[in-house]
Amino acid sequence: MAINKDGAVENARKDLAQRLKIDAAAVKEHSVEDADFPDMALGAAEDGEMSGMMITRGWRIKLEAQGQTYEYRADKNQLRLHNFKGKNYRI
Amino acid sequence: MNRNNFFIHLALALVLILVAAFAGQLSRWRKQWKNQVRIVPATEKKKPTTAEEIALSEARSFGSPEVLVKFKTGVSSEAIEALTSRLHDRVEDRIENADGWEAIDDLDNADAASIVAQYSQLPEVEYAEPNFEIKLEETPEGPLVPVLPHDPQFNDQWALANSGQRGGKQGADISATLAWATTTGTDKLVVAVLDTGVDYTHEDLMENMWVRPATMAPYHDNELGTIDDLNGFNAIDSAADPMDDNGHGTHCAGIIGAEGENNIGIAGVNWKVQIMPLKFMNSGGFGTTKDAIEAINYVINRKKAGVNVRIISASWGSTQKSRALGDIIRKAYENDILFVAAAGNSSVDNDRTPHYPSSYPNVISVAALDRHDHLASFSNFGVKSVMVAAPGVDILSTWLGNEYEEKSGTSMATPVVSGVGALILAKNPRMPVDDLHKRLMDSTDPIIVLKGKTVTGGRINAAKALE
Repeated sequence: MAINKDGAVENARKDLAQRLKIDAAAVKEHSVEDADFPDMALGAAEDGEMSGMMITRGWRIKLEAQGQTYEYRADKNQLRLHNFKGKNYRI
Repeated sequence: MNRNNFFIHLALALVLILVAAFAGQLSRWRKQWKNQVRIVPATEKKKPTTAEEIALSEARSFGSPEVLVKFKTGVSSEAIEALTSRLHDRVEDRIENADGWEAIDDLDNADAASIVAQYSQLPEVEYAEPNFEIKLEETPEGPLVPVLPHDPQFNDQWALANSGQRGGKQGADISATLAWATTTGTDKLVVAVLDTGVDYTHEDLMENMWVRPATMAPYHDNELGTIDDLNGFNAIDSAADPMDDNGHGTHCAGIIGAEGENNIGIAGVNWKVQIMPLKFMNSGGFGTTKDAIEAINYVINRKKAGVNVRIISASWGSTQKSRALGDIIRKAYENDILFVAAAGNSSVDNDRTPHYPSSYPNVISVAALDRHDHLASFSNFGVKSVMVAAPGVDILSTWLGNEYEEKSGTSMATPVVSGVGALILAKNPRMPVDDLHKRLMDSTDPIIVLKGKTVTGGRINAAKALE
């Protein structure tokens, strides 16, 4: 199912709230911008994951919570959390 | 002598005088022209605009001595032009984005080594080197004549014939049109595309797809059981076929082997070949190491069963090393199958931060160039770990639903090299994998910006590969 930009931001907020065990209202949108990612895992491959080496257009979503900034990456196919405590996650 | 003969002789004498006078004037004009040779800015030269013109231009340009000279910082364009004029040379081209580099053409046809020596001694010059050119392969009938397909979108395929379209650098291509004078491929050879699958119903691919021969039994694996691999192999779901649900694999397949000269869409590096689809990445374009290994294992087993699969094209990767993946690639190589892989798109040095599978031994690792012969801004590199470069920016190829799209990445450069490997095997069907590896490494045109960036320092050249 294709994801659009607004849907990706909403899903990212929910995911971050769950991870941090906080209310979704406490997650603020810092910025959402179009971006070219280096590969089809949006430059955020999970352990053991391989991806196509094609430049992929998507959105870089930065959220703020508890004084920290978190980066999500999305395109029409997927949503990923980049470098969360040193690891990447596909949502 | 009668009156008529007198007039005939008089007329002949007048004609001879006029011819002699005209010849004398011609000689004077020629001398004047020689003395007035001026620096011709590259922009004033009429650039070929069609694929045919560029191909012919490429053929004509062979053999003209030329050197690449890097002038020191601060030496002005006017000073460079005055200097080259004094040496009876001319600035053939300025190399954008490489400050100070000039391509110099010698008008006296001196050999490149002596021109390099001449320029190297000048205080204004930092460095000079020959501009290596491929030589035309002479056949008993004479030099190769470029071969041009009539596929309607061929003029947009700058990787195969760069005429300077859309502001590119003329000749910054893989010399496919000259290679095609030797071979356009063969349907006796199989290239495996290990990817998101391939849309084997695409109208520009369907004639070049591998289909399991009727005489060959369906694939059997002790763990997976019997699989109907009529159109290839799906490692994600062995019950499904390898139809592409993303587009990436279809794009790579078209670069290797979109049918040529069929009056549809584009031409692949190979007009004729058999593409074997292997699906291990899902509709999002990512997959697991385990499924990649399963698919490579399938290729090896099909090779052992008699399928003439000699190349695996792998436009994917990550920075995570897997010993199991390295082992199965080594096993493929031992079975005479060359593995060609993308160097990666993170603009990093693979010598320091390896990228896999491209950094495994015996793999041909491929960096990406743009239409100006510059290393693509995203491309990984590595003077020890990245073998060659190939066009990989704005590459037009096949896409899902009989469509065509332009895409960028070392993903796109990789099948270019796989395709050249297939052309080599079309001409030399029994060439062992070691020799194929070496031939690819020896078949590049040196590119200044790749010096110190890749092992070969060059762009793959299909015509050179077939010499």
